[in-house]
Amino acid sequence: MPDFLVISADLAWPLAVLLAWLAGEFIHRWTRLPRISVYGLVGFLCAQAFPELFATESGNPVIVMANVAFGLILFELGYRVNLNWLRVNPWVAISGLAETFATFAVVYLIASAWGVPSMTALLLASLAMSTSPAGVLRVVNEARSSGQVTERVLHLVALNCVLAVLTFKVIVGFWVFETSGSLTQAISLSAIELVSSALLGAVCGMLVPAVLRHLGNLAREGTLAFALVVVILVAITHATDLSPVLATLAFGLTARHRRVAFTRTQRNFGAIGELLAILLFVFAVSTLSWDNVVNGGMLAFVLLLARFVVKTAGVAAFSQLSGIPWRKGLATGMALAPMSVFVVLLLEQTKNSGVVLVDELAAVAAMTVFMEVLGPIITQRALIWARETSKEV
Amino acid sequence: MALEPFKESTPLTMGVELELQLVSFSDYDLTASSPDLLHLLAQKPFPGHVTPEITESMIEINSDVHTRHSELLAQLHEVRDTLVDAAERLNIGICGGGTHPFQKWVDRRIFEKPRFKEVSSLYGYLAKQFTVFGQHVHIGTGNGDNALFLLHSLSRYLPHFIALSASSPFVQGGDTLFNSARLNSVFAFPMSGRAPFTLSWDDFANGYFAKMEHTGVIKSMKDFYWDLRPKPEYGTIELRVCDTPLTVERAAALASYLQALCAYLLDRKEEAPAEDDYLVYNYNRFQACRFGLDGTIVHPKTYESLSLREDILTTLRRMDPYAEKLGGGAALNHLMQVTHMGSDAQYLRDQFAASGSVEGIVDAAVQRFRGRR
Repeated sequence: MPDFLVISADLAWPLAVLLAWLAGEFIHRWTRLPRISVYGLVGFLCAQAFPELFATESGNPVIVMANVAFGLILFELGYRVNLNWLRVNPWVAISGLAETFATFAVVYLIASAWGVPSMTALLLASLAMSTSPAGVLRVVNEARSSGQVTERVLHLVALNCVLAVLTFKVIVGFWVFETSGSLTQAISLSAIELVSSALLGAVCGMLVPAVLRHLGNLAREGTLAFALVVVILVAITHATDLSPVLATLAFGLTARHRRVAFTRTQRNFGAIGELLAILLFVFAVSTLSWDNVVNGGMLAFVLLLARFVVKTAGVAAFSQLSGIPWRKGLATGMALAPMSVFVVLLLEQTKNSGVVLVDELAAVAAMTVFMEVLGPIITQRALIWARETSKEV
Repeated sequence: MALEPFKESTPLTMGVELELQLVSFSDYDLTASSPDLLHLLAQKPFPGHVTPEITESMIEINSDVHTRHSELLAQLHEVRDTLVDAAERLNIGICGGGTHPFQKWVDRRIFEKPRFKEVSSLYGYLAKQFTVFGQHVHIGTGNGDNALFLLHSLSRYLPHFIALSASSPFVQGGDTLFNSARLNSVFAFPMSGRAPFTLSWDDFANGYFAKMEHTGVIKSMKDFYWDLRPKPEYGTIELRVCDTPLTVERAAALASYLQALCAYLLDRKEEAPAEDDYLVYNYNRFQACRFGLDGTIVHPKTYESLSLREDILTTLRRMDPYAEKLGGGAALNHLMQVTHMGSDAQYLRDQFAASGSVEGIVDAAVQRFRGRR
């Protein structure tokens, strides 16, 4: 007779994904809330109810798949970013830089005042700079939104991610230095990791379009080829401790700018992309424990509120200068609310280098859980308020 | 409410309306950005007029009233440059072309304006499918009788304008094998096609229009989507069969060609128009849409088969003295080149072959509209 517990462990993830999908469909149809908010909620509840079934060790296929799902989303984001726009209308980039660094400063100051140790406060602040591409892009695609808020949110998310990864890695470098004692080793490791990751993605971004062009039928092969290379990039970065975030984002960016005009990659990478995304959102909160959420809850609430206000005000302040009305500027800032998935994966990847931060940063756990559910809802409401969604939402 | 009186206008004045595509530089699909662009444009004086169109992925620009080709072209250049600058600030590409090659009509949003909402609720998906882009040319006719005379006399030359402006070979991601697929979308509307035959404005206004209004089917001239329609409030006739060309140079040239043709027809050297001219109207229209300059049309009076390209060349030569007098010589030369080099539809097909993707077509159209290709 097969061991019941072993079967349950094998079945846990597929069943959780199925449950999340079903719940997402029902609740979305009933309330019009974003499906991904429901996925996160289901993931968190499953993990709290059966912690031993959902425990994931490093190298677990679920983590690899979650990383692939995130890689696909980052590629799609990079593919939609037009760097030339930031040159033509520099106020868009300036608003992004302002809100990102203001968020860093405000979160650091609040956390320090709360009594959080300096290094921890710095890490918290760097994580708060980010906006999760997964949350934003999924909501944008689900709502079929288009307009200035949509365009700007996508560009600002890419900017936030890059700046957050850079800052986070530098601070982790210092963290490593504090424990290992070698400053040069810590900095050079971070710098090498960042540059190598971006370079790896950029090289793929040049090679893949060239090969596709050679093959001829861009419309058919494009999506598949891009997906395959994302999988390979995630595998390489995983094996070599590079940053899959930077690599896949750089891949998308370069592919777009090298293409002349390649065919539009299928939104969300089709049904497989959808499947992986459910897994990603279920996984993201399954790593967090209820105790951490409770411990960090109050600080998380204050930090999230501060982050939300600073980001919204930071973008809105430049709205007129950058050519949009106040209302759309405010909506753009509000739509930057999601941050969870990005943070969880960044912390997961940092585990590989022996730095375990989730327990240190109880507030992060709470922020992640709140924002996994609330973030996409805020983005969706901001897009509706800006009248950029299709009427069906 | 009776049809308003036909406004007296200066004969042979001209004005141009262009419906333009708003394209996202993120993925080259249409983007629902007309509210954003109109907001930005409203902050500075605009060298013409710009208005929203039925879906938020389109805008319409209008020129002032002009008498000479050079003045019209200068204003269209200024309008284009202002538009392109504003659009680039918002990461939007602007281009001509009668259709967007791969947009899905289901993704379009109707602009928040009562008339557009009414049209949408009456016509259902046809309203969103109407995300096609045309050039309208107005010519001043002096009075209503002249307007109807010109309107019916021009029916024989309509295929010229379809073939010369054709720029919509791709729809929903595929090559339709038409040069102007846009007109097929217009044809789906019940009030499309040709105007009823009468040469008297009184008969038109008090007879046909009054009866149609009584049926409750129409409320104003705006409800007619005819290929050529009188515009009493401006004192003009309006040609509506042209696709929006890829360049403003071609738009100005087409307007000047129509101006010269009207000058020629008002000399009344041709046999007067008759109802029977319309026997071959739909066939000729189809030939021009399907085959462009390579089409074969039937002369409505002699029933002789003619190569459309040859017929255009012959007519252009005959219009030379009229164009010279009106200052439109350069315009006719431009169109002469088109008959040799091929239409915008041909250019778009070439771009598809070169880039291998429908996005490549849009990219090329955006560059061409800027005057950089």
